[in-house]
Amino acid sequence: MFKYNFIYEWKTLIRDRWVQSLGVLLFGLCLFASYNGKGKVEKRKQDINDAMATVKDGDEAMLLLIDSIQAGLPVDVPSWRQPVQPTAVGNYHPRVVAFPPAPMALVATGQSDLFTHYVKPTLRGEAMLLNFTELSSPVQLLFGSFDLSFVLIYLLPLIVIAFTYNILSVERERGSLRLLATQPMKLVHWVLQKSTLRFALLSLILGGCLSLSLMMNGVSIIEQWNQGFSQLLGLSFGYLLFWFALAFLVNLLGRTSAVNAISLLGVWIGLVLLVPAVLNQLANTIYPVPSRAQMINDMRVLKAVADKQQDQILAEYLRNHPELVSVEAGTEATAYGWWQRYFAAQDVVKERMQPLLEKYDGQLKRQQQWVHQLRVLSPAILMQDGLQKISGTASWYYRDYRQQVISFAEQWREFFLPLIFKDEKVDAEILTQLPEFQYEKPIAGLPFGVNLSLILLYSCLLLGLGFTLYSRQRKEKLLLT
Amino acid sequence: MIWKIARKEIKETLREGRFRIAGVIVLALLSIAVVISYNYYNYVQDQHAQASTNTRNLWTSQDEKNPHSAAHYGTYAFKPKSPLSLIDQGVDKFTGISIFLEAHRRNEAQFIAAADQTGLARFGDLTPDFILLFIIPLLIILMGYNSFGKERENGTLKLLQSQGVPPGKVALGKWLGLYMPILFLTAGLFLSAGLMLALTPNFGMFSWTALLLMTLVYLIYYGVFANLTLIISAWAKSGGIALVLLLSIWIITCLATPKAASNFADALYPYPTRQEFMADVSEDRKKGLDGHNPWNKEAKLLEKETLEEYGVDSIHQLPFNFDGYRMQKGEEHEAEVYFKHYQLLKDQFNQQSHFYSMSAAVSPYLPTRFLSMAIARTDYGLHWDFADAAERYRLKMMEALNMDFAENSAYGNWAYKADQSLWEGIPDFSYTPPTIGQIAVRHLSNFLLLATWLVISFLGLFWITRKL
Repeated sequence: MFKYNFIYEWKTLIRDRWVQSLGVLLFGLCLFASYNGKGKVEKRKQDINDAMATVKDGDEAMLLLIDSIQAGLPVDVPSWRQPVQPTAVGNYHPRVVAFPPAPMALVATGQSDLFTHYVKPTLRGEAMLLNFTELSSPVQLLFGSFDLSFVLIYLLPLIVIAFTYNILSVERERGSLRLLATQPMKLVHWVLQKSTLRFALLSLILGGCLSLSLMMNGVSIIEQWNQGFSQLLGLSFGYLLFWFALAFLVNLLGRTSAVNAISLLGVWIGLVLLVPAVLNQLANTIYPVPSRAQMINDMRVLKAVADKQQDQILAEYLRNHPELVSVEAGTEATAYGWWQRYFAAQDVVKERMQPLLEKYDGQLKRQQQWVHQLRVLSPAILMQDGLQKISGTASWYYRDYRQQVISFAEQWREFFLPLIFKDEKVDAEILTQLPEFQYEKPIAGLPFGVNLSLILLYSCLLLGLGFTLYSRQRKEKLLLT
Repeated sequence: MIWKIARKEIKETLREGRFRIAGVIVLALLSIAVVISYNYYNYVQDQHAQASTNTRNLWTSQDEKNPHSAAHYGTYAFKPKSPLSLIDQGVDKFTGISIFLEAHRRNEAQFIAAADQTGLARFGDLTPDFILLFIIPLLIILMGYNSFGKERENGTLKLLQSQGVPPGKVALGKWLGLYMPILFLTAGLFLSAGLMLALTPNFGMFSWTALLLMTLVYLIYYGVFANLTLIISAWAKSGGIALVLLLSIWIITCLATPKAASNFADALYPYPTRQEFMADVSEDRKKGLDGHNPWNKEAKLLEKETLEEYGVDSIHQLPFNFDGYRMQKGEEHEAEVYFKHYQLLKDQFNQQSHFYSMSAAVSPYLPTRFLSMAIARTDYGLHWDFADAAERYRLKMMEALNMDFAENSAYGNWAYKADQSLWEGIPDFSYTPPTIGQIAVRHLSNFLLLATWLVISFLGLFWITRKL
């Protein structure tokens, strides 16, 4: 019976052109989505490379200029921009601090359209307040991107629903259910077998489409097997299983095709659209980020106070940093006097701002934790979390990058401070010692397997629920009447 | 007869349990969304009011200092929240709330709310516009997908025809039966939102005209969906097929097209990165006058021209402080550079908008989305308008400061200090958004697109039901 059932189902699916149309549809969607993802990743790479190339050109020009100045030749650059001055190098020749894309970044755009992928911290900018958002059209941010994560999270469940909502009900509506009941097998097994075949078939098609479309967009799936591709497949199959299990359960409730479709759609709206939206809003309500407008004011007050107390601040600063004291320290008349006061004041403002900034980071962290715990409420969120982890485009990657930028900016400043305070000139040798930034990939929080296990657990629960309902309510009878 | 059919449809809808449940759920979601948005609005509005006052106080309470130092100290312009953001928050979450106004530089708005939220923010929010744009069309589909199918399945279509009712009347009756409940739901929602806005003090410039216009936009949108639903229902062989087809239309219209359009728009008319933009600006700035650099070639040229104009030999003999004058001229040059580069950005934005309008051929969602945001004054166009207003204010402010420096001190006197009266003499920044008439004119093409959808879908409905 099992064998006949399979063969019959297979033949029906082929003759109804389900297999062909699903293949074409999924392949088209995956190809278009990965092409879009690739476009964004390529642009990101290109932007970073361009920025690096500009810095390289700038460095070469800088070396030539230093040579000319040292040789006493006249140059057409105002004194404060001449690269023999450490402040000029620190401010006008910053390094590119870049966040390169992960190999599988094309899977999920995530937050990559919102945040920038390279900045150039100078001596002047307070790195912690640097603008990390990218210059992008808010309309695009609102609409989001048609990427693989959209196809998998939003569209795939709908395809499953269209493929499975009437497995059982159509038989009754056609009148063939009674015929089926005469066969020596339980209806529940019959539905399970049909669903299993459909699940296996769709998994196969999906796996093929994903692999093919990624390969066509330049991802080597063999190289990336351990870098995220196997995880992508695992998550996709898990998510697929979840929706099949849900359809299995709904089918066994024995309602009409239309009611099945509507119920499944209702669950889809709930899990994919509503739960994430409500969770996000609750997170903002329970852990509201303090007013940024207020932060601006606080900072300006602090700065104004620091400006007034500059002399006192500098004196204190030099007491704490005796290594920086030079003969002319604090001479207001020189540019150096000005810079010394500036850096000393900057430190004070930063120190006083710290608690305020920590309040922001703290709230964001709490929001993140809360959302992270409650992500179990929807497989769609589990999926988003997993896919963004694979792509390296989740929020916390950007927060980590920000921390890396802040510490590099600190390093950059530390490098120039002694030169500035001792009024030393920059030469070719000092230039070779300039700090360089190396992006370090953060270690992912929870192991990826947790999300997948949760999705699988839900699927098993749904399947179990289907069986229990079936045996408890003697659905066999119910279905036939 | 039309009314009879409509009444029968409405009665059936009301009797059926699942529609009652769906209706109650939608109403509940809407109420929650309105309450959340209302609280959020008040929260943000309080913050803005407080921040604006504080900023002004900081500005006016500056000590005596050189006007140009005050120009560098700068101030902030805060974007007010519009009352109708209660219904449609548009792109507010993705545009900054405040612009720093300082010497020599036009800054972008800072502090994008979405950047201060978790990645879940990208799923969307439970706001009234989400329900209005996504969920109510879905409700229309669920209510109407089987409208003709059930008559056919029950054999009542023939009965209806035997009464001698022309097919056009049947279609119109069905349409009214589907549309009336939605009309009441929408009207009720907008009316209560309007009352809420009108009765709450400090809710900004609320106008009933804008609300009415917004209601109209949504009613046309729902009209289009009602037509599409009935067209498919009349055309499909069974209710199930009609449902699946309609859901596919919903997915393509509301979910897939906007995203795909955004990808195409971005690929065709990309924005530069922030760093590129800044680099381009500073490259152009270098080519012209730098107010702080008297030795720069342009500065020397300006000096020569000014001396000739006033017929004197030395800048000491000029009737004003040349430092301040040069600073102002430098500011003007920088303003031109910024104007040019922001214009380039704006061109990209306009091209993108044009592309979205063309995509409206596939999706009535797009013109509705843009119109709704525009009327709510939460769209990208309004953000541009605000940023331009802030820039105009900044230029005036810089001019006042630089000219005070130029007119009240002698050349080389950087020790000159102005007092509080100068800071107070510069009026506070206030922003008046465009009127609803101006907005309507600006978005006429979107109106036309939506109206075209309505007309064509009506024609389609009557054409497909001409023979039932």
